[in-house]
Amino acid sequence: MKSYAQTPPGTQIVIGRAARRRRALERTICSVFEGWSYEEIIPPIFDYYDVFVKGMGTGPEEQIYRFIDREGNILALRPEFTSLVAKTVATRLASSQKPIRLYYSGEVLRFEKPKGGRQREFAQIGIEHYGASGKTADVEILLVAVETLQRLGIQAFQINLGSVDFFGGIVDRMELPADRIAELKEVLNVKDRSGLEALLERLPLGDRRKKILRAVPHLTGGKAVIAEARELVRNPRSVEALDHLEEIYSIFQSLDLAQHLTIDLGEIRGFDYYSGILFRAYVRDLGFEVASGGRYDGLPGAFGEDLPAVGFSFSVDRLEQIVTPEISEIEAASIAVDDGFDKALQLRRSGKAVRLCL
Amino acid sequence: MLVIALCKGRFLEPSLDLLMQAGIRFPEDLASSRKLIFNSDDQRFRAVLVKPADVATYVEYGAADAGIAGRDVVLESRADVLQPLDLKFGYCKIAVAGVNGAAFPSSQGRGGREAAGVVSSAEMPGAGLTTPSAPPDRWLSAQPPILCEEGNVDHQFSRPTIRVATKYPRITMDYYNARGIPVEIIPLSGSIELAPLIGLADRIVDLVETGRTLKDNGLEIVEVITDSSARLLINRAGYQTKRDEVLRLIQALEKVIR
Repeated sequence: MKSYAQTPPGTQIVIGRAARRRRALERTICSVFEGWSYEEIIPPIFDYYDVFVKGMGTGPEEQIYRFIDREGNILALRPEFTSLVAKTVATRLASSQKPIRLYYSGEVLRFEKPKGGRQREFAQIGIEHYGASGKTADVEILLVAVETLQRLGIQAFQINLGSVDFFGGIVDRMELPADRIAELKEVLNVKDRSGLEALLERLPLGDRRKKILRAVPHLTGGKAVIAEARELVRNPRSVEALDHLEEIYSIFQSLDLAQHLTIDLGEIRGFDYYSGILFRAYVRDLGFEVASGGRYDGLPGAFGEDLPAVGFSFSVDRLEQIVTPEISEIEAASIAVDDGFDKALQLRRSGKAVRLCL
Repeated sequence: MLVIALCKGRFLEPSLDLLMQAGIRFPEDLASSRKLIFNSDDQRFRAVLVKPADVATYVEYGAADAGIAGRDVVLESRADVLQPLDLKFGYCKIAVAGVNGAAFPSSQGRGGREAAGVVSSAEMPGAGLTTPSAPPDRWLSAQPPILCEEGNVDHQFSRPTIRVATKYPRITMDYYNARGIPVEIIPLSGSIELAPLIGLADRIVDLVETGRTLKDNGLEIVEVITDSSARLLINRAGYQTKRDEVLRLIQALEKVIR
């Protein structure tokens, strides 16, 4: 017999104090977002399937819960917010003054093996910044992320900042077939040196290029890494990416925040839609990143309006593993039923909490 | 303090040897004790002993910062972990194997490949897909032809879908999926070699170290799926938040294996 104590894998029920803690956490985060002039957007929990495929690319489509409505449309439960927000900005808000700053908070659904802190239904909370390219918007959202983590009382955090253009510029020149690039990304992603060597043996690349690829997984650290990377690459796309990262790093230095920033040029994971900077936030003693984001200038264009875009999202479930927000006890006056309901109403009108004793 | 997950079993001794050469010494009774947690003599590391298949999980969840496990179990678990070093021990292959001669009955004139044991990638799927070399009457009288994993139309198997017994259901499924061959996977936890001998499965996918066990049981390798050896695993977040300690560990181990 099925046990009703279980919920489907990857889902959970949050009750009472835990629920109050989650809401307190969300409120703290939202107040930071609002403090930076981000407005809330509440998108639907499902939309047309192709909205998400356009947004996320074809890789993660297996993870999308989809269904067919009575008119035969293919719909999908939202696996992320960015596609939904980008679509809205590119259509409904196309004529609004830029930049547009939006934040969202809610559950997303993905068919994943529930492990490694991943659920099938999980709460995300994040911001999107549309209409501004260049470092200012990039720095703004990084600062919002930093302030949010600080406001949650987290001190030991690191933001790993990379750029898809650095690696992109390198592979552009190599003219490799897509499946070879995918293999290359796979070994670089896990920093698998022996796997990389085995692959390099099979790739028709010169020694200089092989040297670059061998270096990529280790290009991570402070500002020195940028200088190190400059020695390796000459192509304009990679060089521009390095200039950009260096500028951001310098701004962080001038704000005395550079201790939280790590340049990571070996970081090449993420949805297809990323186009510039890419970052993840890690907290000491938590085995997973708590936030990830980046720039995705191509995304609004997929919905008909070319606009630069940058943003990130926090995983609420993961933050909950390291942050325990203070919640105040609810002081309720106990009312015996004998006192009459009018007594309860009176207290309620004066703003007091009541608990009826039945 | 960094937590390192180590496999109980055949990997334990070479793992401890390697760590010792890298200057990380654990109590001598580690291998014989029933305890599962040990601190290194200098208190900088903590070893936790887990089942081989669980090492990647411990590291992925961040319960351990690092781990040592075979590439086979990492592939099978699909754990999202960094794998910076090949530790150069525990070499073996993950291979498809079957009963001697079952893949290419000599009546079809493919004895040469059968004798070679391992099918090279040049001979893999596609080759011989179109024209069955058996005489037409044989096709009519026997069971319907099926596609076996070598991409040949063949019908020595009694089932329309071949059965594969394995400890590695995911690797097996990926392998057959990549070749577009329908299979029924039978997950077993040990004595995999037995399965084709008593008709439970047509093929097995298993670790092959020397090939001795296969040979003793009248089995042979049909195709090597991939090579495996011991890997150093690192938790992604730990790599960022405990960078100095983690890099020191990687460098120390790298020096030893070079």
